[in-house]
Amino acid sequence: MSDLPDEAQLTAASLNFASCHLCLKLVHVDQHFCTRCGSTMHLRKTRSIERTLALLFTACVVYIPANILPIMITDQLGQPIESTIIGGVVLLINMDSIAIAAVIFFASVMIPVSKLAMMFYLCWSVHMGPPATVRQRTVLYRITEFIGKWSMIDVFVVAILVALINLSNLLVIRPGAAAVAFAGVVIISMLAAESFDPRLMWDQRENNNE
Amino acid sequence: MHITSRNKVHQPSVCLACPSCDLMFNVAELKDGETASCSRCGHFLTKYRADQFERVLAFASSALILLILACSYPFMSFKASGLESMMTLPQTASNLWNYGMPFLSFLVGAFIIFVPALIICLILLLVVALVSGRSYHWLRPVARLIYTLQTWSMAEVFFIGVLVSLVKIGHMATVVMGVSFWAYAAFSLFFTLTVSGLDRAQCWNRIEALSQQ
Repeated sequence: MSDLPDEAQLTAASLNFASCHLCLKLVHVDQHFCTRCGSTMHLRKTRSIERTLALLFTACVVYIPANILPIMITDQLGQPIESTIIGGVVLLINMDSIAIAAVIFFASVMIPVSKLAMMFYLCWSVHMGPPATVRQRTVLYRITEFIGKWSMIDVFVVAILVALINLSNLLVIRPGAAAVAFAGVVIISMLAAESFDPRLMWDQRENNNE
Repeated sequence: MHITSRNKVHQPSVCLACPSCDLMFNVAELKDGETASCSRCGHFLTKYRADQFERVLAFASSALILLILACSYPFMSFKASGLESMMTLPQTASNLWNYGMPFLSFLVGAFIIFVPALIICLILLLVVALVSGRSYHWLRPVARLIYTLQTWSMAEVFFIGVLVSLVKIGHMATVVMGVSFWAYAAFSLFFTLTVSGLDRAQCWNRIEALSQQ
């Protein structure tokens, strides 16, 4: 670990350098495009918190149909049975597949909900959060960023079952509208995580120190 | 190993700013196999390997061959009451289209086949150029596309989805795994190795060095 105290170290912004989000090149803040890869340069992500919050609210709205509508329709001997995400978890518990029910519950209920909650907390904490926890909050942000795409498991399970189980008349599985909504929630919350800029939390702490 | 240095901070060519907290680090003195992470927030910065591009070339070629195998053989088959149904990997996407869900079909196809395939082909192109030590005008756009697309490849997520579906339907009927299943399992492993092996800072430093020769 570093032997220098944090205060002795310099941020790129304090030296008038902006870091390219794509190739990590340090470019002077006057430049509009990265001199190495040509990406548009920003000292911090543009309107980061507003964009993140807008996407988070959208994700919350889309999450409602994702839970109400059926995600999968099973046609057994011509009898259609519609199942929702929660319904599928309950069914698995009734069938004593506790482990797999836990995986599905985790991937399609716990992760999306806690991810949205964590992102709301991070947005709030940029200006209001305790400065002492900034490192923990950065770790929290990296966790939300990492787990984002793992919520797609449920959509892929539907896609696989639809492709695999197609025994004409006897047993057919069809996709339900909630699959599209759920894929939407995952993509929108991934975009929300991408538009959040964790450096704002550190900037805030430095401003408080001065 | 953590590297921090205040002295050389004014030479931006050998410096990186932590993407999470913007602290500047000099990463010029990394030795083979050493990793630099941010001393303030712990974020991974870069890893230097002398043979990094050769390794990526090997991983990416294996991944491409495995993906071609995975797309051309049966993935799984399902037997119940004397009836059998079989699926291939592209059918995961195309069947959704047949059920009137073009948007979802497009997303699934992109996340599990097209984006990973495109990334692998672009990485092969880039790494062959970097290993041979020649600079081409298309290196920058190719590398930009690779790093932009990376978030949107979900090969490993799909594979966990396959395992979950296996457990879900395992008790209902006999499920037989085909060549494609094993090929895709290996593909998702090699794909992850390829993408994590191509270090962002080292790759761009190499592109920049080649263009300045």
